[in-house]
Order: sequence, then structure tokens, then C-alpha cells
Amino acid sequence: MTHKRWTTLVSIGLTATMLAACGNGGNGGNGAAGNAGSEPSKAENGSTGSGSGGNVTLRYALWDSNQEKGARKIADAFEAKNPNIKIKIEVAGWSDYWTMLEAGATGGSLPDVFWMHSNEIYRYASNGMLLDLNDQIAKSTEVKLENYPEGLNQIYNFDGKQYAVPRDFDTIGLWYNKTLFDKANLSYPDENWTWDDLKSAAKTLTKDGVYGLLAPMHNQEGYYNFVYQNGGTIITDDKKSGYDDPKTIEALDYYISFTREGLSPMTVVDAERPELIKNGKVAMGIFGSWNLSSFAENEYMAKNFDVAVLPKKEKQASIYNGLGHAIDAKTKHPEEAWKFVEFLSSKEGQEMQAELGLAIPAYKGTAQKWVESSSTFHSQVFVDMVQYGVVRPYSNTTLVWEDKAYEALKPAFLGQATVEEAAKNAAKIMNESLSQEK
Amino acid sequence: MQSQAVKRTSGKKAWKEWAWGWFFIAPTIVGLVVLNLIPMAQSAYLSFFKSGDFGRNNIYVGLDNYRKLVQDAQVWHAVANTLLYAAIVVPVSIALAMLIAVLLNQKIAGRSAYRTIYFIPMIAAPAAVTMVWRWMYNQQFGLFNYVLSKFGLPPVDWISNPRLALVSIAVIGIWSVVGYNMVLLLAGLQEIPKDYYEASDIDGAGRIRQFFVITLPLVTPTLFFVVVTSVIQAMQVFDVIFMMIDVTNPAYDHTVSLVYLFYNSSFKYMDRGYGSAIVMLLLALIMIITFFQMKAQKRWVHYQ
Repeated sequence: MTHKRWTTLVSIGLTATMLAACGNGGNGGNGAAGNAGSEPSKAENGSTGSGSGGNVTLRYALWDSNQEKGARKIADAFEAKNPNIKIKIEVAGWSDYWTMLEAGATGGSLPDVFWMHSNEIYRYASNGMLLDLNDQIAKSTEVKLENYPEGLNQIYNFDGKQYAVPRDFDTIGLWYNKTLFDKANLSYPDENWTWDDLKSAAKTLTKDGVYGLLAPMHNQEGYYNFVYQNGGTIITDDKKSGYDDPKTIEALDYYISFTREGLSPMTVVDAERPELIKNGKVAMGIFGSWNLSSFAENEYMAKNFDVAVLPKKEKQASIYNGLGHAIDAKTKHPEEAWKFVEFLSSKEGQEMQAELGLAIPAYKGTAQKWVESSSTFHSQVFVDMVQYGVVRPYSNTTLVWEDKAYEALKPAFLGQATVEEAAKNAAKIMNESLSQEK
Repeated sequence: MQSQAVKRTSGKKAWKEWAWGWFFIAPTIVGLVVLNLIPMAQSAYLSFFKSGDFGRNNIYVGLDNYRKLVQDAQVWHAVANTLLYAAIVVPVSIALAMLIAVLLNQKIAGRSAYRTIYFIPMIAAPAAVTMVWRWMYNQQFGLFNYVLSKFGLPPVDWISNPRLALVSIAVIGIWSVVGYNMVLLLAGLQEIPKDYYEASDIDGAGRIRQFFVITLPLVTPTLFFVVVTSVIQAMQVFDVIFMMIDVTNPAYDHTVSLVYLFYNSSFKYMDRGYGSAIVMLLLALIMIITFFQMKAQKRWVHYQ
């Protein structure tokens, strides 16, 4: 074994591993690009006779594998109506999904139709990656924007152009353990509940190793709701931070007081939140409507839990958000893609989505069918809360300032800083971040 | 005439050998260039830009990303965490691997079964491994706290205590890498000629003395390779921390690694330029450390 050989071996090892991280990123991209690369050729083959009624294959991408089966059924219904169009569903997990779209957008091979989210709409819309749907919507008899919640329409509207049609929405509810409420002789939460009711119930229910309320360090399924109930804000209309608003600080202080007073476990690890409620460690918890099926599958929760609207302070509020269906700006089949989106967004498509129990449909009046699709919990409350729902705060770089705000607020949760200090610091950092937005 | 012809054929022959040589190493070279060197150069290039969306509209900003890097407290936390992680994982994992390798180098029953068992963590997917560990570390329902409670001890916040989290993560890192290092060291041990041991037996040396006088010096070439690659691997720690620690975790500042920061900047906040600058810093750190290791090897590595 010579010296030189080892040196060579080591230096090869070094170079090979140096950018392993980059390699990883690249792999994701490569994988996606590979997939994407093979698809258009198929679509092209299919499209050779599209003008004369030949077959067209549309790629439809989504990120929730739990909804794949249902989405397939809806696609089947569409195919039955449009025999010349085939839908090919592509599913990727949340983060892989965005890596795939990113690669597709960079390489010019996006899926024809895909789910869009408020966190990402700005980047895709402002870079001309999405098809402007204004004309199609104006001409359509099935899709009229007034049939969808205005807040959701706004998310996908950029410079006056509509880039996606709302598909569904989610709201946040107060989950409570009926059995423990009965034992403590407390009345169940309802729409008349105030912050004081929540606090006193949490105090009564905190005993025997069970915490009254799970108030974790979480924005959407946590303090955002309380901020808006108190008349505060997270981001102002002119894109400034709302964390230094006294109303916001007051709400944060109320929210954090549950942990401070031992009424809520100190929860900072995201994955532990659902485990705490599923194992009966907390009597009440704040969770979004998308947890419905996983909570219903949990025997303990199905037996003991139910859900109510969130309590109120100055007003009632629940954070809501919803995804939309967007079309690739460079799709080879804009007409067929729109036909599909039109079907997905139509009353018929949305009712199917509701009956299949996929997600609360955005089309006004179809949500009732979603409520009926599951009887384990009183899921009607999620639909009720839309009337006073507040769209999840967003701007062009939501992900960046959300994480920075988390970091700044952390000391307040841990009791290492006052809520006011932490909130003002969060406002400062968030404003710095917002000022760098284009 | 004749000599010219000979020359020509020998020239042809040399060229042929040269071509075949390149042909045989081509798969490695092509892979290295396409998958490593080109991306490396691109990362270096990108670190001077403010990256635009979808790889378009990159704006040249000179050293701005590096200026930001120097002032970013989190980057320096990450440097400290990364170095500390390597300082825990490398010595402990190699010491354990050495111990196991020496034990498994003897004639004991079920030797190959043990070797296989120790190697298993290496072939398990890191993300899956981390999921299992995350459960064991779980504060409310985890295995470790359950065991502690059986002894009447209070629960420990393994992955949210800033002082403990990095150690908890290092334990996973050690567990994952011990088997791999063990196999390498075992190969090194088996290259040591038996004669040395026989001779020292006659001279009356005990097992411990044999280990320090014969085994350790003669396995140093392998050990050196293991140390260098382990350091590089430890410096790139990412998946375990990424799976365990969210930005909301109080231990975030005390566990975030350079690659984690790189990932967040490049793929979460879509600031590829800054992410590239971070990864350049990591590259520089690894090169400096490896350079000193190369220098130091003269003092302790014995090539036969």
C-alpha cells in the first residue's frame, strides 16, 4: 500500500463527497426532469391529431397521496365525458412536489394542470409560468369567480389576472375531549365561547397528567387565529409586519400564557403535536380541517373527541387557506387543460370532490356534501367558520419571514424573553425581510 | 527505415495503451466531471449572484453573499455545531469501530453474523432510521423516557434541550457509521501478517501489548483513510438534523449544520446564491481540515 495511492484515493473521496448536498438537490431535479423529459414526448405523440379529435394526454400533478384515489375518480368522470382526453395523475410528496415543479418550470416541462399554493403562487405567476385564465373564465358558463370565496380568488390573482381557480379550503377548529368535559361537568365549546371560557376550561381540565389545551408554537394551527380574533394582524395591507401591533402582542401573550401557566405542554417539535392529542395528553387542541381523516382513524379520538368553532375575543376568526388549479403557460393543449380545470372547478366536479370526502370544496353551497361524507365529528363547524375566515397571511416571500418570525418568537415561548420584546424583534426581522421583496 | 518502422509501431502501441487506459477510467471520470466537478464549479459561480427564479435573471452581486455570510450569526453557529458534531462522532465512532473490528477479527462463533449485524445500519435509509430514533427520543411516549420512568426518573427532552440535542443527534450518527468503519478497519486488520503475532507470542507479549505495538501501527494506513472520510462525512451532516429539528425547536441554533442552512437557503427560501456561498464555506473548511490531516499523516501513519 503506497503513500501515493492513499493520497489519490482520499482526494477522490474528498471531491466525490464535497458537494454531496448539491448532488442531492441535483438528484431530485434530475429525477423530476427525467420524468418530465419522458412525458412530453408521449403527449406529443398523443397530440399529433388533436385538431381532428385525436387523443390528448394531460398531466395532472398533486401533492397529497391521500387524495390520489379520489382525484382519479373525478378524472375518470371527466374522461367519460371527453373521450379524446386522457388524464395522467402524477403524485409527489409536498416537498418533492415543489422540487419537481421547480425543475419542470426551469426546464419548460411543467405538468399541464397542477395544484397551486399561496406560498408559491407569486413566484410562478410573476415569472409567467402560469396560463392567464381571465378569458377562459369570462367565456365559461361553469366557472364564475363569484361562486368561490373571494379571499381564495385573491390569492391566485396577480396583476389583475386570475392564474388558478380555487379547488378547496381549510379552516382551523377547536378539538375537545367530550369525555373529559363530561367528567369535569363543563359544557362543550360552542360559537359563544370567549377567550375567558377557553382559559377557565383549560384550568379545570388540567389535572391527572392531562393538559387543558395544546397551545404549541405554531402559526396557522395556533396563534395566527388568536391574533385575528383580537383584531390584530400578522401582515398589513401595505406589506409591513403586524407583530408590533399592540393587539397582536396582546393575543400572543394570551396564547403563550397557556404554556407559561402550565395549562399546555411546551411543544416545539412539530411532529409531536398530533401525537399528544391522539394519546389523550391534552383535553383540547387547535387543528385544521385536513386532520379530519387521520383523527377519525384514531380510535381514541373517534370515541372521545369532537370539534367546535374557535373561541372569540373582539370577533370570531379562523385562519383559512385553499389551493387552486393552475395551468402551465406553455402547455401544448391549453384548450383541453382548461376543459379539465373547468370540470374540476364546476359544481359537478366540486360536488364529486365533496362526496369523495377529499377536501372541503371551494364552490359555494357544495360543502354540505363534504360534511355529510363523514359522520365521526361535527365537521360542519369547518364550513361555518368560512364566513369569518381570515386568509392565511401571505406575501411574495411568506416562507422566509414565517421562519424568521418563528425564530424571533421562540424565546417568548421558552420564557426567556417577554412576549413584547420577542414580538417587536419579530416585527423588526420580518420588516427587514419584507423590504427585500421585489 | 527499419528503426523508423519500429518507432512507428511503438508509437502506435503507446497510443493504443493510452487510449485503452482512458477508456477504462472513462466511466469514473465522466461521472466525476458531470456529477461533481461541473456542479462544484457552478456552485462557486452561483455564489457571486443573487439568484432569480427558475434559474433566470441571476444578478451579479460580487462578494455580497460572502459579506452577508460573515455577518450572519447563524452561519457561525452552524460552523461551530458542524465542527462539534464531527468532534464527537469521528473519535467515538472510530474507537468503537476499532474495538469491534479487533474483536471480530478473532476466531469466534457466528463471526460473519456479527459482521452483518454491525453493517446493517449502513444500508438502512437515513430518513427511515431517523424516524425510528425520533420515536425513541419522543419526550412523552419515547422508549428512552419510558425506561427512565421505570427507574422513577423524570423525562428528558432529548431533542429540544439545546445542551443535549446535538449529542442525541451525534448518537444516531455514531450508530449509523460504526458498522461501515468497522468493515474497513477489519479489512486493514486482515492485511497484517500473522508472523508478527506469532513472533510476539514467542516473546511473551500479552494481547493488549500486541494491540498497541503491532495492530495499531500496522492498521494506521486504513485508519487514516477512515479518519479522513469520517471527518468529511460528519461535516456534511444533514438528514438526521433536518428530520429531527424544526426551526421552532429551541435547540435549532445549537444543532443547525452548514448543510442544513444551505438547504434552507437554497431550497426553502430560494436564495440559491447565498446557499452556494454557504456550501463554499463548507468546502473551504473541509479542504483546510483535510490539508492538515494530510500533513499530519507523516507523523503517525506507517506504510509497510
